[in-house]
Amino acid sequence: VIKMSAPSMEERKACWGARDEYWKCLDENTEDAARCQKLRCSFESRCPQQWVKYFDKRRDFLKYKEQLQAGEYQPSGTTEKS
Amino acid sequence: RTVQPKTPSYWRLFFALSALPRMFPTLPLRSRWPVAQCGAQQCGLGGDPSGTAQVQLRTRLLITCLFGGAFLGVWLYFRREKEQQQKLQRIQELKKLSLGQGDFQLVDHTGQPRSKANFLGQWVLLYFGFTHCPDICPEELEKMSQGVRSREDEPGSAAAGPVITVDPERDDGAAVAKYVKEFHPRLLGLTGSPENVRKAGRAYRVYYSAGPRDEDNDYIVDHTVIIYLLSPDGLFLDYYNRGKSEVQIVQSIKGHMETYRRLGS
Repeated sequence: VIKMSAPSMEERKACWGARDEYWKCLDENTEDAARCQKLRCSFESRCPQQWVKYFDKRRDFLKYKEQLQAGEYQPSGTTEKS
Repeated sequence: RTVQPKTPSYWRLFFALSALPRMFPTLPLRSRWPVAQCGAQQCGLGGDPSGTAQVQLRTRLLITCLFGGAFLGVWLYFRREKEQQQKLQRIQELKKLSLGQGDFQLVDHTGQPRSKANFLGQWVLLYFGFTHCPDICPEELEKMSQGVRSREDEPGSAAAGPVITVDPERDDGAAVAKYVKEFHPRLLGLTGSPENVRKAGRAYRVYYSAGPRDEDNDYIVDHTVIIYLLSPDGLFLDYYNRGKSEVQIVQSIKGHMETYRRLGS
C-alpha cells in the first residue's frame, strides 16, 4: 500500500475553499444536497476521502448545535427518565 | 508559603520596649488621682503636676516610638530578606524538578535526537499534532507561529516551537519537517518510535487515538488539542486550548516573560 503524503498548505486551502463553497450552497438551499451536486463533486475531488467524511460529520454537528441553541431540539420522553 | 509573624513575641517585645523609658531616672510620676480630690500638699506630692510631667510623657512616648520604629524596620528588613531567600530556593527546586518532568526522547527531521534539555535557555511553545490533520492542527499551528513570531522582535527572547507528531507511523522526520516548515521557520517537527511518542504524550497529558482506516488506509488521529508554554528553565508555565485566540496567546506569553524577568532568574 502506498503511503499517501499529507496535503500541502496549498492543497489544504483548496480543499477548505471547496468545502466552504459547498456549505454555502447548502445554506442557501436549506440543506438540499441535490442542488449542490457540482460543488459536492468539486469538494470530494479536492479533499482526501477521510476529510470529506470528517467535514460531513462536522457539518452535522454544527447544524445540531445551531438547533440546540435555537431551542428547536426536544429530547424524547424516555431519555428524561433515565 | 509565607512566614507567619509570631504575634505573641511581637506583643511581648512591644511591652518590653515601652518599659524602656521608665528605666531612665525621671522626676516623680504625676499622681493618678485628680488634684481636686486630694490636694497636692495633702498627698505630699511636690513639683508641677502639669508642665514637666507632660513633657516627660511626650519624651517617653517619643523614645518608645523611636525604639519601636527602629526595631520594626530591622525586623521587616530581615523578614523580606528571608522571603527572598525562600523564593530563590523554591525556584532552584522547581528547576531541578522540571528537568525530570515533561522530558521526551525524540528525533528531528535530520535524525538528530532531541530531548527537553535541548530547548533550555529558550521559551518553548509545544504542540502535539499530525500532518494528515483536516483543520484543527493548521489552525493551532497558525496561532503558535504567531506566538513565536511575536518573540522575534525582542532580542534575547527567541521562542522555539517543537511540534510532536501523534501519528509516528506515517509522520517520519521528512513529513513533519515539510509540514511545519510551511508555518514558521522556528517550528521544529519531532517524531520517533511509537513507544517514545507515547511516552512524550503521557508526560504532557496529551491523549491520542487513531480513528478507523478507509480503503486508502487513511485515518484521522483524534488528539488533545493544546499548546504548552515552557520557560527557559523548562518549567511548565501555561497552556492554551482551542478557545484561546492568537492575540490572547501573544499577550499571555508577554505577561509570563515580564514575570520571569522580575523574578530575576
